[in-house]
Formats: sequence, structure tokens, C-alpha cells
Amino acid sequence: MTAAGGALIAIESVAKRYVTSSGPVDALDDISLSVAEGEFCTLIGPSGCGKSTLLGMLGGLVMPDRGRLLVAGAPVTGPDPRRVATVFQDAGLFPWRTALENVEFGLELQGVSAERRRRTASELLGPLGLRGFAERYPRELSGGMKQRVAIGRALAIDTKILLMDEPFGALDEQTRVLMGEWLLDIWRRTRKTVIFVTHSLHEALFLSTRVAVMTARPGRIKSVLELTMEYPRSMESPEMVALRAKLWSEIREESLRAMQST
Amino acid sequence: MKVTVLRLALLAALLAAWELAGRAANPLLAVPPSAVLPALRDLLLLRSYPRLPASLCLTVREIGVAYALAVAAGLGCGFALGMNRLLGRAWGPMIAALYAVPAVVWYPSLMLFFGLDAASKIAFGFLLGFFPITLAVLAGVRQVNPQLVLVARAYGAGVVTVFFRVMLPSMLFTLVGGLRTGLALSVIGVVVGEILGAKDGMGALINHAYGLLRTGDYVALVLVTLAIVVGSDVLASLLERRAKAWTE
Repeated sequence: MTAAGGALIAIESVAKRYVTSSGPVDALDDISLSVAEGEFCTLIGPSGCGKSTLLGMLGGLVMPDRGRLLVAGAPVTGPDPRRVATVFQDAGLFPWRTALENVEFGLELQGVSAERRRRTASELLGPLGLRGFAERYPRELSGGMKQRVAIGRALAIDTKILLMDEPFGALDEQTRVLMGEWLLDIWRRTRKTVIFVTHSLHEALFLSTRVAVMTARPGRIKSVLELTMEYPRSMESPEMVALRAKLWSEIREESLRAMQST
Repeated sequence: MKVTVLRLALLAALLAAWELAGRAANPLLAVPPSAVLPALRDLLLLRSYPRLPASLCLTVREIGVAYALAVAAGLGCGFALGMNRLLGRAWGPMIAALYAVPAVVWYPSLMLFFGLDAASKIAFGFLLGFFPITLAVLAGVRQVNPQLVLVARAYGAGVVTVFFRVMLPSMLFTLVGGLRTGLALSVIGVVVGEILGAKDGMGALINHAYGLLRTGDYVALVLVTLAIVVGSDVLASLLERRAKAWTE
């Protein structure tokens, strides 16, 4: 079922240009990347480098101008909730639905019976750390809880692929670290293929099997870092400190370019 | 509880003031509540106005038709303008501006065009109800968080599902508020239309009693009309509360 080379996800020479009121903007230029099943692949790069656009394309919400994207060998033509689930930076919970009903949303759209989807969603609340919050509405939940509900909504449809667009970007530093640990635990248990967009070096190094550094606009893949250390990782080990310095020097260069070009 | 007491207190104060003022004035021109009650009793029990039931039915029917048309046209126009950014930008402000024109200025031409019968009242009730509904839908569509639409699409929602699962719940409260205002204005349109010129209906009866200086009957008829208005508003507010409970 997978494409050549055993990749679950293949991004082939993809480019995207947006037309804005101040002229065309090249968001992505000739991006190629393939991700194998079970990988935790992080996209990191300066603001506006097209990370989210790339994720949107994988989710079928944005169409490329050139190139193509394959998921399990088939070109992406639109959202495919049977294969791909997305978590956005803004939790995007429906305010008129309880936490449980929000987790059920994807199953509901897939026509799963009320009883079955309630059972699936209820079972997820435990690992999400939301037991006892099933009947709460989003406005009654903290930022971290909301984001966990959003992740629960993505996990509920049990796809092979999980796309996460800066899911912890709006959280405070402490919550963010804890959520990272929690996500790692979930990922190691479910063995989903995760594409994770972040600005955080810590998250990238703590979580990923691979980190792709993107350039300033127009976004290209600058370099790819393979991380083979065992989980859970110590951020203080000499190996990690060295990797962090290396990653930072690459990102710093691009971030400076991004700052100068705008 | 306190709210109810305060409401009743205001009502009692108004009635007392009315009674005092009415007794002091010329009985042909002003009627104290104590004189209205017998008139109301005659009206309802002795059928001092034989045309009352038929007039009441006619007025309610006119309101029903006017409001139904206003809802249909208002929802249609509102969604058309709300979903199409260009149309919304071009025509939305014009509709808002027209809403600000005192609608009664159109009534003479409506009478010329639709005649003195029900049609001109329906047209006027429609005209008054249409604008707040359209504007509420427009505002409601703009309230929909695009992020939620994106989430729904990512989870496989098509246009219809997005509409019912995301847009409608997002805008429900605003929409129901607009529908409620529209109903109140449709009622006003029909009744005012009848008062300004009609052969039948509650407004015509009111006009008739007033023209004959039967001030007691006139006030009693106004009270009956008021009951329709209050009744429809209570109904609307119940629906509004239910919508609110559902949205939250």
C-alpha cells in the first residue's frame, strides 16, 4: 500500500504561491520530503516559512500549485479523515459542544453510531487527563485542557497519520513541557505517524525521530536531522546540548533572514 | 421575584397616574382605566363590536403572512449576502441604510400600489420585518469563526454539514434575536397599516372607535391588539431562550 521506498507520506516538489493585495508571495518552493510509518517528524523554521501551508496540504485543505503529495501512495485531493487527523494551533473546539461531544465530532461525521462513538470518546478521556470533565464546555476548560480535547478529537478517529500545527504554541512554557511529555507517551503507545509543526527547539529535540529545518520564505527544506536517542530523552545530556546548538545555529540564520525580508 | 414586584409596581403607578389624569380631563378625550374596564367587558362579553372576531382573525392572518414572507426573504437575502463576500460588501451597507429610513414613508405608495385591502398591510408588515432579519443573518454569518469551519472540513464535513453543524449553531443566538425583532416589527407594520387606512382588521376598528370619539371602546380595542403583540413576543422570547440554552 505504501509508495516507493516504504514512505507513508511523500511530498514531491511541492510549491505554493499566495496572491495577496501587496502582490504574490511564494510560500513554498520545491519542497520534497518523505516520512515513513511510525515516524515523529517535526517541521521547524522561522515564522511565515510555510510550515502550516505544508501541513494544510497534507490535510487536503490547501492545494499545491506545483508538485504532488502522496499519502499511502494515493495523491491527496481533499481532506481524508479516514487516514489523516489534524490538530490546529487554535484548539478550534465547538463552544456549544461539551468536551465529550467535541471528541466525538469526527466519529459523528463518519456516521458512527451514538453509542459506539460515546464509548470510544469516553475511553479516550482517561489518557487525555480529562476524566471528570466530559460534560464541561470549552469555556470551562483551561488552555491545556482545550488542546487535549482537540487532540482527543483527532485521536478518536484513529487515523494512521496525525498532523499537528503548533498544538502547544498558545500555552505557557510549563504547561507546554508537560503536554510534550504527555504527547510523547501517547505517541509511543499508539505508534501513529506524526507530522509536528513547532517553533520550539525543546519540543523538536524532545519528541522527534526526525527534524526538518525549513528556510525563510519561500520555504524549502534546509536540512534534515535524524534523532536516534532513546526516549525519554534528557535535555541535559552532552549529545542533546550539542544537537540543540547545531539546530539553533541553522534556525537562527533563517530567522534572521526572515526578519530582514519583512 | 424582585423583578416581578418592580414590574407590577411600575404598572400600578402608570395605571394610577392614568386614572388621575383621565378623571381630571374631558371624558370625551381621555378615559381613566375604571371606564375602560366596562368597555372591555362589553367588547368581549356583549360583543359590542360584532366585527371584532373577524377583524382579529384578519389581523392575525395578515401578520402571519407578512412575517412568513419576511422570514423567507430575510433568510434568503441574508445568507446570499453573507456567503458571497462581494455581494455582502456591495449591498449589505445599502440594506442597513434603507433600514434606517422611517419605513412609514413608504406606506402611502404601498397603499396606492396594493390597494386598501390586506395586501398593502401584508406588504408593510413584510417591509418592516424583512430588514432586521436580513441584517441579523448577515451579522450572524460574519460571527462564524472560520477556524471552526476549517476544523469541520478537516474532519470531512461538506458544505451542507458545515452549514448545519457549524454555521447555524454559531449564529443561532443572533439569528433568533433578529427573527424576534422581525416579528415585533411585522406586527407593528400590519397594525399601523390598518390604522392608517383599511376597511377591516383591528387597526380599522380602532380607527373607527376613535373617529366616533368612543374613547373607552378605542382603548379597549387597543388593549386587545396589545394582547396579540405581547402574546407573539412571549412566544418569540420562549423560542429565544430555548435557542440560547441549546447554543451554550
